[in-house]
Amino acid sequence: MRKNSPHTFLEEVASIPGSNKINECIQCGVCSGSCATAAYWEHSPRKIIAMVRADMRDDVLSSNSIWFCVSCYLCTAHCPRDIRPANIMHALESLALKEGYKPPTRSPAMYQSLVDSIKRNGRVHEFGFMFKYYLKTNPLAAIKMLPLAIDLLTHGRMPLMPKKVKGKDEIKAILAKVTAGGSQ
Amino acid sequence: MEPKIGVYVCHCGSNIAGTVDVEQVAEYARSLPSVTVARDYKFMCSDPGQDLIKNDIREFGINRVVVASCSPQMHEPTFRHVLQESGLNPYFFEMANIREHCSWVTEDREKATEKAKALVSAAVRRVYYHQALEANEVPINPNTLIVGGGIAGIQAALEIADSEHKVYLVERDPSIGGHMIQLDKTFPTLDCSACILTPKMSLVGAHPYIELMTYSEVEEVSGFIGNFKVKIRKKARYVDEDKCNGCGVCQEKCPWTADSEFDVGLAKRKAIYTPFAQAVPNIPVIDKEHCAYFLKGKCRACEKFCERDAINFEQVDQFVEIEVGNIILTTGYKLFDPTPLTQYGYGRLDNVITSLEFERLVNAAGPTNGEISLKDGTEPKSVAIIHCVGSRDENYHEYCSRVCCMYSMKFAHLVSEHIPEATVYEFYIDIRSAGKGFEEFYNRVLREGTTFFRGRPGEVTNVAETPEEKGKLVVQFEDTLVGRQRRIPVDMVILSCGLEPQQDAEEVARLFSVSRSADGFFLEKHPKLDPVATMTDGIFVAGCCQSPKDIPDTVAQASAAAARVLALISKGKVEIEAATAVIDEEKCSGCRICNLLCPYSAISFVEDKKVSRVNEALCKGCGTCVAACPSSAITQKHFTAEQIMAELEGILV
Repeated sequence: MRKNSPHTFLEEVASIPGSNKINECIQCGVCSGSCATAAYWEHSPRKIIAMVRADMRDDVLSSNSIWFCVSCYLCTAHCPRDIRPANIMHALESLALKEGYKPPTRSPAMYQSLVDSIKRNGRVHEFGFMFKYYLKTNPLAAIKMLPLAIDLLTHGRMPLMPKKVKGKDEIKAILAKVTAGGSQ
Repeated sequence: MEPKIGVYVCHCGSNIAGTVDVEQVAEYARSLPSVTVARDYKFMCSDPGQDLIKNDIREFGINRVVVASCSPQMHEPTFRHVLQESGLNPYFFEMANIREHCSWVTEDREKATEKAKALVSAAVRRVYYHQALEANEVPINPNTLIVGGGIAGIQAALEIADSEHKVYLVERDPSIGGHMIQLDKTFPTLDCSACILTPKMSLVGAHPYIELMTYSEVEEVSGFIGNFKVKIRKKARYVDEDKCNGCGVCQEKCPWTADSEFDVGLAKRKAIYTPFAQAVPNIPVIDKEHCAYFLKGKCRACEKFCERDAINFEQVDQFVEIEVGNIILTTGYKLFDPTPLTQYGYGRLDNVITSLEFERLVNAAGPTNGEISLKDGTEPKSVAIIHCVGSRDENYHEYCSRVCCMYSMKFAHLVSEHIPEATVYEFYIDIRSAGKGFEEFYNRVLREGTTFFRGRPGEVTNVAETPEEKGKLVVQFEDTLVGRQRRIPVDMVILSCGLEPQQDAEEVARLFSVSRSADGFFLEKHPKLDPVATMTDGIFVAGCCQSPKDIPDTVAQASAAAARVLALISKGKVEIEAATAVIDEEKCSGCRICNLLCPYSAISFVEDKKVSRVNEALCKGCGTCVAACPSSAITQKHFTAEQIMAELEGILV
């Protein structure tokens, strides 16, 4: 990046690990063309990158788009410049949360429940994780999932009690370090 | 003669003076032992700058010169010439590179100035020990070898042969013509490619000064500029070239077929074949891999029907040795294979084709007689053309292939011409139409109603999401100018594949001792000022083997390479580097380590004296032998131990 340029939104995003190649985007649009959910996004992933470069901080962080990334990474696989758009979307999600933007989706609750589950057990405990997620969002919606949950339980695919890993403390230490590094 | 050194510090405008305190460097130089004069000047390479040196030589009797400026790659010849004109041996000169090695790579003015001083000090100490050397002259053999018979090779061969100097044109396929003969029309003028190429091919075939060797490959190259020795393998054709009159009966009667290389697998050819109707020479070859006689031991139908008795199953590969003065490499390119881009479905989905396949499909002499047709034989009503396949993509080739935008738009025109009611979509990232008449052609295609979508498609699929998409190929992409993801159903998808180096470019580069750039193409000597020469004297490059380019640029480069060769032939001799290695026969133990290590085969063993000796004409002065000699018997002129140690001391003090 050029020296002495003013501190911009672009610089801020580019300084987040994994998003550093955003400057090299040629706006070809293969990310949006490959995206499984882009049809529902307010702004396509390519446009989000363009908006970051245009310093449209508020428009980006308040948009629903960044929350619609389902991490399929097709954009990243197809990107001709190794920009890793999925990483950028997640970096923006993280930034939006930190700055107090109210996400228009339930994704943060989902992410948080998942991280909590990992912190507690060293791995994901599906039952506990979903239980917490529905408690946080809409407990009534869990009723619709009951038949599936019973099916999974009876087939031994979703144990009620969590299985914990051996090096739990080490995992906690890793997570603490990652969190201190700025992303959740 | 006591050395009297003149030091000249160049400002190079602000290139050096912007970072280095040049006056301080000159003043420092004045304090160094044996330095008589030290000056700084705006542009040492300018005429007044050169005159400064000449005057000092006259007035103060300067007999050693140091110029602190740019890379010796640029101006060493300039200043050596100044010394020569003033009656001094040109090797009493040393250049300190305070631009590339200093001002351009150092930001701190003080540090840059310190480094410049160290470099000047090194050069001053070194030049003190310089010795007068005499450059050697070698004659230039007027014959030329051209490797590759595409449009570049054809053009260069004709240019040189027309001046009545002999050209050996070696082509590995059965006919010359290269990729250009496979193309239908050429952008932007829409000339028929074969119509403008075949006259040149016939001229090559009939030219008294061109010895055409098709179905042949270069095996070995030795020697140096003016005096190359080349061994060529003439692969067995199994057809006697002197007897065959090209009547074609053998091809009619041959019962065995294989995929046609010329039609990129879209049609069949016989096991005995000429690749296409206008082949030069019009002499078939037998493809051993598909011939019934070679596979099963019987058939020989071609032999039975050949009236001239030209079929010879006993033929073997022949080796021909030739001597040439210069070599031009015109080995061309390979089309990018889009199979790895699985998202576009090439090889998996019917009617997803490459650009070269479309060229053959639309060509009147092609497998469909010029009918653009789908696999089921029907006409496409809509065609998608996807740009930049394999180009501008770090996963494949980072570079832009330069020709795809234009040929893609040519395709749009050809589809409209053949099927006026068809819809054509161009999926592009940027339209690159820089060239004479190119932008006008872009406008023409726009006027013809081609739809341009800006966006690299993410996927081509046959999985329909709506009734309109049923049975179609669907291109999913973002229309980036609108910011919407869209799906467009079409009948045919053409992948505009990029150009890449030939598969064996690495081996060819090694064979001819030329370098390759990071993209794999052959490296020219200088990207701007010497785009046809290579680092190896006497070896030139032209066409797509150097970088992707269109036909006009290829022809221009081929003519330029021919002009360079003709200049050397016309002068008849060339000066070669005097900084060669010499072996002290008193010290040489005859261990022959150097003989094996020399990359230019310049060292031979003198049997009766049991010592090694350097052939100065072959020696490039690389220094490998000097470093390897266990008895320190080898000295490199202009790089003696004394000179190098003095230079090191100069940097360290």
